[in-house]
Amino acid sequence: MIHEFNNRMSIQRTVLEIINDKKYQEELCGLSSKAIDRWIAINGLNCESDTCKIVYEISGKLFFLANKSQDCISDEYEMLSAEITNLCSELTIIQEHDV
Amino acid sequence: MHIYVFGSLCRGEIDTGSDVDLLAIVNEFDKRLSGDTFSIYSYERIKKLWQEGNPFSWHLYAEAKMIYSTNYKDFIVGLGKPNKYDQCLVDCNKFFYLYCDALDAIKSGSNSQIFEMSTIFLSLRNFATCFLLGTEGNGNFSRRVALQLGNKSVKLSREAFTILEQARILSIRGKGEMITRKSIDNYMDEIMSIQIWMEELLNEVTNDS
Repeated sequence: MIHEFNNRMSIQRTVLEIINDKKYQEELCGLSSKAIDRWIAINGLNCESDTCKIVYEISGKLFFLANKSQDCISDEYEMLSAEITNLCSELTIIQEHDV
Repeated sequence: MHIYVFGSLCRGEIDTGSDVDLLAIVNEFDKRLSGDTFSIYSYERIKKLWQEGNPFSWHLYAEAKMIYSTNYKDFIVGLGKPNKYDQCLVDCNKFFYLYCDALDAIKSGSNSQIFEMSTIFLSLRNFATCFLLGTEGNGNFSRRVALQLGNKSVKLSREAFTILEQARILSIRGKGEMITRKSIDNYMDEIMSIQIWMEELLNEVTNDS
C-alpha cells in the first residue's frame, strides 16, 4: 500500500509538473506559500490570475492534508484528493490556453 | 492552548536558512492560528502520537520549549516519555521509496528539479532519523543527522549535502539562490549513491526485526 505521505508528495509532483511545463524565468520549487510567493514575485505574475489562485488553493488543501499526515486514509482525505485532482485538470487547461 | 518552539532554534543550529518552528496545541479550530506559522495539532492527536511512539513525539520530547500556555502548565512535560518507537522498518521503507521516486523523476528529466532535490533531502533526513531512533532509541533531529551516524553515515561531500539542503530551503521557505541544472548534474553520482546507503541500513533494520 502506498503510504499517504508518499501519495501527498506524488500529488505535489503532479501539480509542479503542470506548472513548470510552461517555461517561467524561475521554476516553482514547492507548494509552500513562501515558495509560491517567491515564484510569483520573480516571474512578475499577477497573483490574482487564475493560475496563481489555483496554485494557492491546492497549496492550502495540501497543507490541510499535511496536518493530517499521521492519520490513516480517511473519507476526508479521499475527498480532498479528488478535489485536488479536479484542480489539477483545471490548471492544465488554463496553462494550455494561457500562452 | 499551548504554544511551543522546537527545531533548529532549540538545537542551536542557526543559520541564514533557519526558520522558527512553532507548534500550537488546541482543542478546536482557532482562526487566529495560521498554518503558515504554526504546526497545529489537537491535544488528542498529540497524546496519540505519544502512545504510538511516533518520531514526531520523540522530536517534541527532545526539543520543545513552551512559550505560552492558557493554564500555566506544560502539557508536553506532563506527557512524560513517548512509547518505544516500533515502526522503523515501515518508516525507513517509506522514505526509501520517496527517495527512489524523486531520483527517478530527476533521471527522467523532470521539469521540477528543485522540488525533487528537496524531496531527496527530506527522505535522507527522515530515513536517518527513523533509523537511529529505531535501532538505538537515540533521538537526533538535526538536519544533518545523516552525516552524524558515525561509520554508518551517508557518504556525501559537504558540497553535495549543501546543494540538497539549499533545494529544501528553496522549496519550503522560498529563500536562497536558485540551483542550476549543471550544479545538480555535478553531484548526481553522489546523489545516486544514497540508494546503496539506504539499502544497507534497510538490510540491517530488516535483520533486526
